[in-house]
Amino acid sequence: MLKNKLTVLNLIVLVFLCIGIRNTNAQSTVDLRLNEILVHNDSNYVDDFGKHSAWIEIFNSAHNSVNIGGLYLTDDIENPTKYLIPKGQPTTLIPPRSYIVLWADNEPDRGILHVNFILKESKTICLFESNGRTLLDSVTIKSPQTTDVTYGRLVDGGAQWGYLEKSTPNANNDTKPKISEADKFVIFDPSGIGMTLIAMLVVFTALAFLYLFFKGIGFVMTKDARMASKMKQAASPGLVQEGLSGEVNAAIVMVLYLYGDQIHDQEDPVITMTKVSRTYSPWSSKIYGLRKSPR
Amino acid sequence: MENSSFLNFVIDHLSQFLQYTAFANMTVGHIVMILVGLVFIYLAIAKEFEPMLLIPIGFGILVGNIAFYPGLEIGIYESGSVLNYLYFGVLHGIYPPLIFLGIGAMTDFSALISNPKLILVGAAAQLGIFGAYAIALYLGFSPSEAGAIGIIGGADGPTAIFLSSKLAPELMGAIAISAYSYMALVPVIQPPFMRLLTTNKERLIRMKPPRTVSKKEKIIFPIAGLLLTCFLVPSGLPLLGMLFFGNLLKESTLTKRLADTAKGPMIDVVTILIGLTVGASTQATTFLTVKSLGIFVLGATSFAIATIGGVGFVKILNLFLKEGNKINPLIGNAGVSAVPHSARVSQVIGLQYDKTNHLLMHAMGPNVAGVIGSAVAAGVLLSFLY
Repeated sequence: MLKNKLTVLNLIVLVFLCIGIRNTNAQSTVDLRLNEILVHNDSNYVDDFGKHSAWIEIFNSAHNSVNIGGLYLTDDIENPTKYLIPKGQPTTLIPPRSYIVLWADNEPDRGILHVNFILKESKTICLFESNGRTLLDSVTIKSPQTTDVTYGRLVDGGAQWGYLEKSTPNANNDTKPKISEADKFVIFDPSGIGMTLIAMLVVFTALAFLYLFFKGIGFVMTKDARMASKMKQAASPGLVQEGLSGEVNAAIVMVLYLYGDQIHDQEDPVITMTKVSRTYSPWSSKIYGLRKSPR
Repeated sequence: MENSSFLNFVIDHLSQFLQYTAFANMTVGHIVMILVGLVFIYLAIAKEFEPMLLIPIGFGILVGNIAFYPGLEIGIYESGSVLNYLYFGVLHGIYPPLIFLGIGAMTDFSALISNPKLILVGAAAQLGIFGAYAIALYLGFSPSEAGAIGIIGGADGPTAIFLSSKLAPELMGAIAISAYSYMALVPVIQPPFMRLLTTNKERLIRMKPPRTVSKKEKIIFPIAGLLLTCFLVPSGLPLLGMLFFGNLLKESTLTKRLADTAKGPMIDVVTILIGLTVGASTQATTFLTVKSLGIFVLGATSFAIATIGGVGFVKILNLFLKEGNKINPLIGNAGVSAVPHSARVSQVIGLQYDKTNHLLMHAMGPNVAGVIGSAVAAGVLLSFLY
């Protein structure tokens, strides 16, 4: 009976664990997003050669660094491996929740961040996994594109694309002034009463789960013990079982404690030397006990 | 001519050297903080108030308040200094979870498992955290600062350090000092409220002896505890994960060596590092402010509210419990997670009214529940305010 219940419990625990494991691959290249593009660059962001070129911004939406080295960028979905972003370069590592800008100037000799195609309206830009098959993200460039106006996600990594009010290479697309979560909270709850109520409710709920769970477990455990005791009594009806009193228990524990306390590996540091007197016997004599070394 | 230029050289260098000494850079604030450090050390050694914590913190205050010429990579706030490297563990919340691992490995949750309704007392006592949060907001602290200050009411040093490192790192020194000081002062703060809120009849309530808890239940506890609390408040994971992990190491009985390390050498090392660096972070130039004073006042208030919350909740709970199952409200104060100090307070006060009514074992239930409760509360604050 108890075994069955424990097996069910184990299964519940396993289910919980499986739900937990489901999302463990979340923080990797799958978190990369094409985030913002500029097709016609006249007086916008300048590259390391002083040129105004089209650019593509990739956003790492993960909370860990992701290296884009080894991935492919293309403007032709039929040719997914058009531009291989070189591996083993420190510049291709995007820090958590950060960005990298690649120049679409068809000048790959100018450095690893210069790709071998240019941006054109109505083309689809794709980012492929290092196997050249798995599509990580793509965007079709809407037509028409205005000079120096970027097309990007309205919120970093978000689903909605549009023309952005300000071009934000290597920065957050959402340029509206923000207030912190804490400040937002306090606008609606300036006295802290709301926080007290919500938080106490959460704390109570969390611990109430524990309470209910262990009340259930305790019920199962004591029920089994009661049943075992009943069965024992049924087997020998004449036997009256008496529980040990608290005092007796305390005495037993004290004795065990004292006994355990005496079993120690650090002996008394005072050494007493006494002469051991032995009655002489040729059997215990050192001389007779020693062997002579062979000559 | 040569002699006079040599003399000038010596004088110049001596005066330059003097500029580098603590005497030249000392302020009144440094002296005040050094005195505070000495008081901590005195309380720890002469009065035996939390010596394991107050000696490292007190000495840390001395270390942090020896004035120096800035820019020599000496101070705890100067990048590249040894103390700054050690402080990294505090600043990034590394040490508190390690301490929780040790706490888990040394805590016996039997009292809680045998009488699970005591878990709820541990939840009620967290009222101190949110009461102090509301008062801090009223006094003009920012919401993040108020959250960090409120956690003092959880009476849990590592949790206070963990949360303040995230919400208000600039207040961490004051919050940690306040939390640890009031933990040591639990026997002074709590009894008046316990007496005030209970009747003589209530103080004499005898509770049923806790039942024997099987090994299976003890093993299930950390696993179920982790899953049930952290699914609801994942932001409490660093603390609760380590707490329950440490407990599983202990209760499995197969990883005795790991449990012994976690509750022995490891927690000792981390306590030394956390105590010393938190103490050293109270550099007068950053610590001695009006805000710090406010934090100390709010800290004491939060402990009082937590005690009222715990005792009051037991009284309410008793209204619904049958005669014979009632809980002695004197264990309500133990819902704050100052383990085992607040449980000891319950025992001492209980014995004052009935010399044969030992409440320690019962009080340990809400006491360890308070550890879980304060970690959950920290997780809630983190998810709302971070």
